[in-house]
Amino acid sequence: MAADNAEAIDTQFEIVTPENIAFQYRLAGPFQRLPAFLIDLLIQYAVLIILFLGVLFFFGMIRLGFVGVGLGLVIQFVISWFYAGLFEALWNGQTPGKRLMRLRVISADGQPIRPVQAILRNVLHVADCQPFYLYQVGLWVAACNRRYARLGDLVCGTMVVIEEPQYRSMALRVTEPEALRLAELIPAGFRVPRDMALALSSYVLRRRALPWTRRVQIARHLGEPLRMRFGLPPQTSYDMLLCAMYHRTFFAGAMGQAEAAPRPVGSGEIAVALGATPFADAPPGGSAPVQPLPTVDTTVVG
Amino acid sequence: MKVVDLLDQRRENWRELETLCMRFEGRRRSKVEAETAVHFASLYRCACADLALADAYQLPPNTVNYLHQLVGRAHNQLYRSQGFNVGTWFDEIFDRLPRRLFHDGYLRLAFVLFWGFFLASMYLGYASDGFAERVVGEEALRKMEDDHADSAQGRDVDEGLGAVGFYIRHNTSIGLQCFGLGLLFGVGGIFITISNAVGLGTVFGHMATLTTETDFWEFVTAHGPFELTGIVVMSAAGMRLGFSIVATGGYTRGESLRRAGREAFPTIILGMFLFGGAAVIEGLISPSSLPYWTKALVATACSALLVFYFVLLGQRPGD
Repeated sequence: MAADNAEAIDTQFEIVTPENIAFQYRLAGPFQRLPAFLIDLLIQYAVLIILFLGVLFFFGMIRLGFVGVGLGLVIQFVISWFYAGLFEALWNGQTPGKRLMRLRVISADGQPIRPVQAILRNVLHVADCQPFYLYQVGLWVAACNRRYARLGDLVCGTMVVIEEPQYRSMALRVTEPEALRLAELIPAGFRVPRDMALALSSYVLRRRALPWTRRVQIARHLGEPLRMRFGLPPQTSYDMLLCAMYHRTFFAGAMGQAEAAPRPVGSGEIAVALGATPFADAPPGGSAPVQPLPTVDTTVVG
Repeated sequence: MKVVDLLDQRRENWRELETLCMRFEGRRRSKVEAETAVHFASLYRCACADLALADAYQLPPNTVNYLHQLVGRAHNQLYRSQGFNVGTWFDEIFDRLPRRLFHDGYLRLAFVLFWGFFLASMYLGYASDGFAERVVGEEALRKMEDDHADSAQGRDVDEGLGAVGFYIRHNTSIGLQCFGLGLLFGVGGIFITISNAVGLGTVFGHMATLTTETDFWEFVTAHGPFELTGIVVMSAAGMRLGFSIVATGGYTRGESLRRAGREAFPTIILGMFLFGGAAVIEGLISPSSLPYWTKALVATACSALLVFYFVLLGQRPGD
């Protein structure tokens, strides 16, 4: 598969669930994990100081000062070694820092993290932070494997993934009038093959981040042959043509979406010249045979 | 059918699943009503089906991304981490672990290495001039001597409990470091075991050369068995982890490491119990004004417990 190379450098990690669905996680690298770690460190110190002072004060009041010191030291021991492990075990793979940074630890097979894994991977911080808390071991080990796993993660078979905070819009719509106008000029019988549909939507997703000249460069590879084929005038913008194709493929068509769009003047004669009707009744190109959708069984809820 | 129609049709379900995810993320699973959970599961299955058919529907990539996230998020809520199960841990620690440790080559290696180097450096610290100073450092030795110079023993309970806290933190931390650093470079466990053995052995040897009065020997008697065994056990767990990278036993290195991690974990729990016990004895009994024979008795009892655990529980035939 051609995607092998892409997978090797991508930070996506695919998991097959018991439902036999493959879905992808975005792996968290050092730059996502460092802020979470620092937040946790701050919380640890804050909690430690508060508890230590509280314990000292309380046992000082009842004249057992040394017991207070001893208890404080035990608290320090527990927090420094088990803070993250206990949180990850109880909070489904998250510490407060990870929750703030929207990270989560899961098993490499997609299962939730087990308490043993949570504790062990955090005890092994002691090996990862060598030498002298510079975290060189952890960084280099993480750099050398695909899951960004430090030693603790390797031993426990865990990985840290990003939970996307904002849910991106489900599908981007093209609103440029020029594109909508062009969309009507595309012959109705033209079938967009599957890989072209993918290329179109990838392009439309990314074009806003590209400068104008770059857009033209990229779009001409597909735009030029399409323009020739459809017999569009040479001044047609390739960028807009691809947007139009995208709109045609995914949005316009059967349900008369294009009719809602403002119909620009002057489109009529070109369409006539091409011998194509702007509003197609024929099944639109590119879409797969319609399959019955699985429906939610709402009766269970009652 | 166009993407728009499909999205319109499915959007409600996805939004509902999202809302439920948000609710579940914020609270305990036990507080979720059964009906909601069942509904959640069916919504999740539908989202899974949508994702599986995304290619057939020709959904644009960002819709597919959205579905990936949604399914991943719901998956995490559906298959949550299990809590601690105390019952199985009792069996693990008192039934399976001793039997495993009885046949554990790494424990034997750690035992031999630790006691071999301990006794050797004890002899060197005793017989060879300047050895202890070079190994442990002059300052640390003087401090050691001062700490144990006065035989005026007997702290009150308050002070003793404070000391227990200190020893729990200090000694168990050292034990966990023994374990964790054993992972380094595959053979780091050997280094850690030897360095601990040499350090401790030298101090013992040096203390034997002192002509002044010292309560050192009386002090170390009671908690010695637990503490030294604790170090050996932790080192052995670290060695198991580190060596698994080198000696994979036919597994891939990663898998070998994960297996070692699973096996090593109960050993650390045992090690922490040993250190905890040693800390209580070291804080309360070792420095107390109790006569020496009570401390010797405590040491004997501890040793007997260790023999019971490692040998009697260990040699039983497997099931």
